[in-house]
Formats: sequence, C-alpha cells, structure tokens
Amino acid sequence: MATTNNSDKWQDGPVNEPDFLNVTKGLKSWLITLDHKRIGMMYLWGILISLLVGGAFALLVRTELWSTGKTIVDQDTYNKFFTLHGAVMVFLVIIPGIPAALGNIILPVQLGAPDVAFPKLNLSSFYLWIAGALCLVIAIPFGGLDTGWTLYTPYSLDSKSPVLLAVIGVFILGFSSIFTGLNFLVTIHKFRPQGMGWFQMPLNLWAMYATAIMQVLATPVLGITVALLGAERFFDIGIFDPTLGGDPVLFQHFFWFYSHPAVYIMIIPAMGVISEILSTFSRKPLFGYRFVAYSSVSLALLSFLVWGHHMFVSGQSRLANMVFSALTFTVGIPSAIKVFNWIATLYKGDIRLKTPMLYALSFLLLFTIGGLTGLFLGILSVDIHLHDTYFVVAHFHYVMMGSTLVAFLGALHYWWPKFTGRMYPESLAKICSLGVFFGFNLTFLPQFIMGSRGMPRRYWDYDPHFTIYHQLSTIGAFVLGISLFVVVVYLVMSLKTGARAARNPWGGSSLEWEAPSPPPLFNFETPPVIRELYDYSELVQVEEYRWERRPATTETTTAAAETASAATETASAATEATTAAAETSEPEPTPATTTDEPPTDTQEGDK
Amino acid sequence: MATAHHDAHDDHHGISHVASAKVLLGTGGSLLFLTVVTVLATKVDFGPSINLALAMFIAAVKATLVVLFFMHLKYDKVFHTVIFVGAILAGALFVGFTLMDTGQYQETNIWDVDRPPPAPIGPRPISG
Amino acid sequence: MSEHPHAGHGDDHGHGHHGSPFIQHHYDDAKHQFEAGKLGIWIFLAQEVLFFSALFVAYILYRHHHPEIYAYAHKYLDTKMGAINTGVLIVSSLTAAWAVRAAQLRQQKLLIACLATTIACAFGFLVIKYFEYTHKIHEQILFGKRFDPCVSSGGTPLLTKSNECPGTKSTVQWDFATSSPKEGSCFGDVAIDLDPKKPNVQADCKVFELTGSTTFQDGKEVFVEKGRREITARCPDPVFGRDLGLPPGTDPSKTSYPCWKTNHQPHVCKGGWYFTWYCEGDSCAAPFGGEGPFATQQACVDARRGKEGSGTVTECAPSHASGILVEYGDHDVREGVRITAECKAPAAPVAEGDPLEDKAQALALGQASLATEAPLTKAERKNALYAGPPPEHTNMFFTIYFAMTGLHGIHVLIGVFIFIWLLIRAIKGHFTPDYFGPIDFAALYWHIVDLIWIFLFPLLYLIH
Repeated sequence: MATTNNSDKWQDGPVNEPDFLNVTKGLKSWLITLDHKRIGMMYLWGILISLLVGGAFALLVRTELWSTGKTIVDQDTYNKFFTLHGAVMVFLVIIPGIPAALGNIILPVQLGAPDVAFPKLNLSSFYLWIAGALCLVIAIPFGGLDTGWTLYTPYSLDSKSPVLLAVIGVFILGFSSIFTGLNFLVTIHKFRPQGMGWFQMPLNLWAMYATAIMQVLATPVLGITVALLGAERFFDIGIFDPTLGGDPVLFQHFFWFYSHPAVYIMIIPAMGVISEILSTFSRKPLFGYRFVAYSSVSLALLSFLVWGHHMFVSGQSRLANMVFSALTFTVGIPSAIKVFNWIATLYKGDIRLKTPMLYALSFLLLFTIGGLTGLFLGILSVDIHLHDTYFVVAHFHYVMMGSTLVAFLGALHYWWPKFTGRMYPESLAKICSLGVFFGFNLTFLPQFIMGSRGMPRRYWDYDPHFTIYHQLSTIGAFVLGISLFVVVVYLVMSLKTGARAARNPWGGSSLEWEAPSPPPLFNFETPPVIRELYDYSELVQVEEYRWERRPATTETTTAAAETASAATETASAATEATTAAAETSEPEPTPATTTDEPPTDTQEGDK
Repeated sequence: MATAHHDAHDDHHGISHVASAKVLLGTGGSLLFLTVVTVLATKVDFGPSINLALAMFIAAVKATLVVLFFMHLKYDKVFHTVIFVGAILAGALFVGFTLMDTGQYQETNIWDVDRPPPAPIGPRPISG
Repeated sequence: MSEHPHAGHGDDHGHGHHGSPFIQHHYDDAKHQFEAGKLGIWIFLAQEVLFFSALFVAYILYRHHHPEIYAYAHKYLDTKMGAINTGVLIVSSLTAAWAVRAAQLRQQKLLIACLATTIACAFGFLVIKYFEYTHKIHEQILFGKRFDPCVSSGGTPLLTKSNECPGTKSTVQWDFATSSPKEGSCFGDVAIDLDPKKPNVQADCKVFELTGSTTFQDGKEVFVEKGRREITARCPDPVFGRDLGLPPGTDPSKTSYPCWKTNHQPHVCKGGWYFTWYCEGDSCAAPFGGEGPFATQQACVDARRGKEGSGTVTECAPSHASGILVEYGDHDVREGVRITAECKAPAAPVAEGDPLEDKAQALALGQASLATEAPLTKAERKNALYAGPPPEHTNMFFTIYFAMTGLHGIHVLIGVFIFIWLLIRAIKGHFTPDYFGPIDFAALYWHIVDLIWIFLFPLLYLIH
C-alpha cells in the first residue's frame, strides 16, 4: 500500500497515495510522463516563457513607435519585431494556451476520468509543440521573420528571411494542435462517467469540445498551406506566383480558411472558463446553460463560413465580399447570446471578488468591445477605411489579449490551487489584475482612435499628429508588461512559498473540486459522485479559502468540521481495511443515477 | 468482458462486427471492375463535361463501396458516418466559396475567343 | 455520443482481469479501448480529408478556369501505369480489410499473409510511381519554373530553354513562361520557310556545326570559331505520318545523326504575330502550319476570325526566331558547339518586297485546289494540337499533379512503415480477437489513402 508521505504537507492532498507532483521524481520522469497533468504543466511553462518572449517583442515594437522615424531600430528590423511578436503569440501562446495547458490539466479531472483517451499521443503533442517552438525560435538568430505573421504571398516567396524554417515550425505546431483536439474529442465522448450526460457537462467541457472540432477540421488546411508555401520557396512550384500561372489571392483563401476558425479556437476555450468562473463566484448556476452550450458548437461551425472577411480589399470579387459580409453578421449572434447569459448569471448573484472573478469581469467588458468592433469591420463600406489600420489591431488585441489572455490568467489563478496545491498571493494578484486591465486599455483604446483616423498598421513611421496616441499606447504597454511579468513571478514563487491550498478554495461545484489538491496520479482516490450541475446549495464556506460540501441536514459548522475530519479518517480506514474486496464492492457508491450524498457519509451510515 | 469466439461466422458478441469473406471479395471485385469501366469510358467521347461527370460518378460509387464495406461504416456507429460526411462537407464548403470568388475574375487566358467570360456579379464601380 | 459506464479508477491498478496485456490502464476493458481508438482514427481521417482538400480546391479552380491546360497536359501521363496503380491499391485495400477479419478470427497465418501482401502492393505502387516520376524528370516535365518539356504531349520534340533533353541540341532557347524565345541566333532577314503551297520553294540552306570556345570580350560572351563541318543529313519530320520537305526517296525511318530539320513551330524568322495552328474546313484557304506575320495580336485574331469554315485556329503567338533543329543521337550536351545555317534566296522570281514573303499563288492549269495535301482528319487535327508546344502556364498542371500525387505518395510510404511495424507485431503474436485495434485503425488509414487515389486517378489520368 502506498504510504502517504505528503498528507502532513498538503492541506488537502491525496490520503492513500502520493500526489501527481511527487509520485515519481526526477527530470526523466517528467520528460517521459504519460500523466495529462504533468504534460499540461510542461505546456504551461512553455507557454508562459513564450508569452514573455512574445511580450518582449511587443515592447520592442511599442518602443520603436514612441516617436516618428527611427527610435531604436530601422524598418527591416521593425518588420521582424512585429512579425515575431505575432507568430510567437498566435502559434505558441494563444492557440495552445487554454486548451493545451489548462485543458490538459483540468479536462479529465472535470470529466471525472483518470486520464485522456490517448496519453502517448498527448505526450507526442507536447513534443511536437516543443519542436515547432524551436523552429520558430531558431529562425530568430538566422534573421528572424519579416513577412507579418500572416505570411502573405508574394512577399513571403521573395523575403530573404528564413521563411522555410518558420513554416516548418508552423506545420509541426499544426499537428500538435490537431492531436490535442483529437484527444479531447475522444475523451469527452468515451470517458464521461455514468450520470454525466451531454447536458450535465460543465460548460468548460462544451467549449473544449467545440474548440476540438475546429482544431481537427481547420488546422490541416493550415498545414497544407504552409507546406505549399515552403514548396514554392524551395522548388518554385508556382502555385501562388502569377508569373508562373499561380494565384496569390489563393494563398489568402487557403490561409484564412484555417486562420478564421483559429481565432475561434482562441476565444471559445476562454468563453468556457469564463462560464465556470462567473458561476462559481456568483454562487449561481450559469444562466441559460443549453443556450450557451449550443452557442459554443454553433460558433465553431459558423466560424468556417466567414474567412473571406479578412480579404475584402485583397482583390476578392464583389459577390464573395457581399456573401462573406452577410455571414459575418451571423457569426456575432452566438457570442452575443453568451454575453447576455453571463450577465444574467451575475444578476442577483452572491458576487465574490477574488482574482479569477476580477479577470472574468474584465473579460466581459473587453470581449464586448472587441466583439462589437469586429462587427464594424464586417461592414464592407466601413472596412474599406478601417482595413489594415490600427483599428483592426486594436480589435484583435481586444479579443485575443483582452479576452483570451485575460481569461487564461483568470483560469490560471482559478485552478492554480488545484494542480499546484498552493495559493498565490491574493492581494498582489488583485493589484496585478487591475494593472493588466488598466495597462491593456491604455495600450489599445488609443489605437481605435488613431486607426479610425487613418494610422496604418505595421508601419514603422507615421504622421506626427498620431504621436500622442502612440505614446499613450507605449506607456500602457509597459504597464501591461510589468503587470504580466509580476504575475509570472509571483506564480513561480508561490510554488515554494505559497500557502497550502484546500481541496475546494473557491466553492466550485464541478468534479475537479472533489479531487485532492493536488490530485493523485489518476485524479481521484474514490470514484467521484456525479451531482447536479452548478448546484451550490451544499457548499459551505468554512474558512476564507476553504469550502466544504455539507448535505442540507447538517447544522453547525464546528460539528460539520468534526464530522468531516472523522469521515475522512473513517474513509481512509475503510479503504485501507478492504483491499481486494474493495475492488469489487467499491463501484457501489457510484450508482447509475446521481445521488446527493458524498461517499464518506454512506460508509458511515446515515446521519 | 469481451471473449473470443472461434466460430468464424458468429462474432456478434465480439468487440466489433467481422466482415464476411463474401462481402470483402465482392467489394474488391466490384472495385476492379469499375476501374476497368472507367478507363474504357474515356475512350468514348460524350463531350468533355459529360465525360468528367461520368468519371466522377464512377469514382463516387467506388468510394462509397470502399467506405461502406472495407471501412465498415455500414456496420458501425452512425456518428462515424457523421464525422466523415462532415469533413467532406467542410471540404465542399471550401471549394464552393473559393470557386464562387475566383469565378468572378476576368479570364486572362484566351482559349476560345468566341466564348467570352461572363460579366461579374455586383454593382459596377463608380469610377471609370 | 455514447456514455460508457465508466467507473472512476481510484486504486484499481490491477491488470489481472484484462485479457490482452495491451489494454491500457485507464480503460475499463478491451471494448472500451477499441471504441475509443476507432473514434480517434475516424477523427484523424476527417483531418486527412481536409488536409488534401486544399489541393483539390487548387485542382478544381485551375481546371475550371483553364481547361485547355488539362486537356493538353494529361497526355504526358501514362494511363496504363495509373490504372495498374489503381488496381494495385484496390488489391492492397482488400488485403488490409482481410487482415482485420483475420485478426478478429484469430487466423494468425492469414493475418501475416494479408499484411505482407498489403506491404508488397504498396511497394509496387511506389515502384510504379518511381518510374513515372523519373521519366518526367528525364524529360523535364516538372512543376512550376522547372517545366521545360523536351517533347510535346503528342511526342514531337520541342525547343527547350535548358537544352537538357536527350538527343537534341538547338540554338534557340524557348521561354515557356513568356511563350517566346529568349535568345538564340536569329538569322536576320533570312527565313527558313516551309511553304506547303509550293514544295521546295524554301531558301537553299546549308547547316554547319561550328566548334570553338567562348571567351568574354567587353563583358559579353563571344564565340570564337576554330573549325566547322557541314551537316548534310536532313532528319525526317514524321508529323502526322507525312514528312514534309525531305528530298524525294528519303526513308523517314532511317535517321542518320547528326541531322537537321526545320522546326515547325515557329516557322519564319520574321517579327510579328502568327497563327500557330491551322484552319479546318473545305473552303478555308489558310495554309497548313501558319500564316502571318500580323503586326499585332489583335490583327491576327481578327484575321483568324474572318476565315471561312469552322475555324479551330486557336492561338496567335509571336515568333521571332528561326527554327533549325539539329539532332544528335546521344544525350550529351555538346559544349563548345554552335550551329549556324547559311541560306540563299530561291532562284524563282518573286514579287517585290521581301523575297521570301509568303504570297498567295494562283492555281495552275489542271490543279483543283491550292492545298497540296488532303485536309487533316479530326484525329490528325487533335494530334496536331498535341504536337505543338504547351499552352501558357501548363506548368500549373504539373504543379498540381506533383503536389497531389507527391502528397499521396508520402502517405503511401508512411503506410508501408506502419504495416511493417504491424507485421512484426503480428509475427510476435500481439494481436488477439480482444486486441486488434492497431490493425483495424491502420487499415482504415490505408483505405483513405486508397480512396484518395480513386479520385486522383480519373482526375489526373483520365481527362478527356
């Protein structure tokens, strides 16, 4: 029987076996792990490092734009800065961010499963991400990339920068994404426990499912597109080169067929985690559950119909322009449905303003702004003026950064106690979240204004009357950058110095909060009981960061605390006493239907 | 627990359906026959568009045979068919929209002067 | 959409109740693992369909907008080899599906035989593909910029810009991207003219092979002649089974090298626009092989339109160079050799102006028509189409051809490795009726590969 060498260290770690962080030691055990939680954590470190790298490029861009003309670098280097900022952020941070890092850690636990469907494929996905990231990073000392992250032909065919190396990296990253999506789809289909039907799944899982559909269907088109681009550069095959009979606009069709669903791959997981956070910190079930679930999937499907709205002024025909513009309006509807449902969730809720909730509330505002400005850009006549201006830049930063990254940070703080067993410093975190909010808005609100006044994007130099907007934007960028850096620092430090976390520090109702903090290797020591979704009635706050589940019959908190500790002892005694017999009789507490009683109580008899 | 039956005919208790030898051979034979048909069909000149439609129709029939019998979709969960058809629909969407767009461009390679390209759809630009 | 009655695994780490050692821990039983794997492979196949879809998009777009390229270029492909490949893949698909059945029924020997046959068929496919590709590389029938065919799709030799074709050396470089000669020795006003209206009216030419070396003077390359010899043999020009302009009594099947012939495309070394094809119809008076020159392309098009009969003249192309083609019997690119021709104007009197200009000639007494040969049949016209140079941007067909068949071939190669791995595992006895997932899933992958080829074959090889 495994000894519990850490129950005296973790506040609510596993009782009968080591937690997943300590079950095996040493670097090799991490590098060849098949445990989804370890894989997710490795992704998380990679993504956070990439965030800092991409952020550094962003600060270099904004520094250069502090004044007109040359501030720190010349035009060609500036092109490389914004390209690498875009490529690193899009391919290494925002697309994998929530699904690969947090999804890998949390999805099976939230589902009540011991692991994802294909653990070896999961590890392969991680190593593919590393390989792709290395390709992109190695391109930097070889001259970087200067085509813009969108790699438009014909310049990407002629550019002297190492485009081939970069597109090989993108190709590999594409397969990492596809395999992650495949894994999640099969896991959600095949590892849902008895009692958790489709409409008893938390909305985070619906969001992951919708994202996975898009990852599997759209990413292969990116793969073939960059493969053709590489072949064109290396072999002169001519498919995008008009002098050889090819069509450069065809590249844009191919590229945006993936890249539009890609932006929904970025935002839908964010919407999923926001649903969870808003519900938990309002102590209310999410309003309009089915509507939100359906809108996740319908958004995923609709996202395939609108890619031409990136090409309104690229030479696309008038007919296609009109069709894509009309379809773009429809794609705003599911997002709007979600925003209304989130606000209705907050209404008359018991709002607790912890850090995850602060990020979630920021998300609501920033996503609304980002989404609405997207609709402006979907109008043909308006887009003629706004295309390739800073308005577009501000729009996509509001949705990619103000929404996805903010949701990522919220979710990171929300689940940090669960998978690290530590609490981050709450006051500092709140200050940083305000710094992120303030810095973000200071950076990007002026960009809307200067974009509508004609400031083009990706320009190294500009007309002097835009200077004040650029300077405000640069100051905001540094405020934002410093806040993000401090966030990463205190999170890393909390691993050693943070307070031990309870099993359920926020009073969440989904299955991951039934697992120990941190969870053992296969997530649950006893099979989790499937309860009604978003039901907070039994959760009682015992301390500020500790909630416990009490059935409605129990009375005082002290008596409940005593019973809870007694119940834990009895549970461990019971499991220790019955070894072989337990294997056959243990499935009993997980009946075919949901029950209100936690397993410990049934073993003690009725209360 | 899934146990193995050594009976070659009855495997409905096994993990999944076992394809019958007759079905496999029949499908293989039909595919080879249809290949011959499609090659011979090109020798006859029905006109370029009809020849293309005929070739694609035969290819679709062959593909259906492969998918239904070799790939077991006929005996499999309906959801797998949904996945496969969904992917094809996504591909068809891709083709359709892109063709709609490029079909509007002026033809630049003059093959048949007597058959000029159709006028593009949409209002004429105001400027000359 | 199935809910599996899956119990959470607390401390249930025992393997004792699993039949096959390959059932993984987090699965309840063999059926659970199999079903999950099956769902996984179908999702992967959906992804594969989308992976190829972009190439199908490119194919459909180009075929829709430039059908002439496809009609011309597909004749470069060998239908027989394509059909054999199709048959081979179908057989391999059958054996792959049979391997799954054999594994389910615990028929170990049959399983190994089926897997081995699948691998062999896949290998056969790749071998045939290898021959197809090497032939194209040899003839420079490649993609994009590298499309520089040595022969037209009808089989007649063409001028090429790289001079790397077997058995030919030419002085004129033909640029297919711009459909015009890039450089070469245009013989100025002297025209080598093939006029079927009047056999042997062409200028009297001698073709010389010059040996020497190239040096640089004032930054330009200059050829310094050291010696010359006359090439007296004329090559047969078996277009449509009739050779034109050979001395009477010459046997076209006996060719002595080196030999020279006029290239029928283009014809005359005068600037301007020419018809490159011919006109059909009884009353069409256009000569075989070309008429011109016209000052502009529009004039040429207009003149072409004005012809009687159902004109199938299809192109107006510029011509600036002469066409003397010297053929050598070997494949070497002859360094340090130049070809030149010295021609004398014909002795017969001509109207004023350019002594070699084509002029309409009156019917002589007893002559029924100006046409010296019978009008071409439909089949011969079609052959003429394929005998000439490719339409503009035919390289795009081969870009798409190589991209599609190349990507497909890579998938076949990956399939070979997967099936070899399965064969090794099968020999070791890993597969039982409880655990045959890898074979089933690999067979599904293989069927998708076959399915894609089922579409590629008619789309590429069977264009009418």
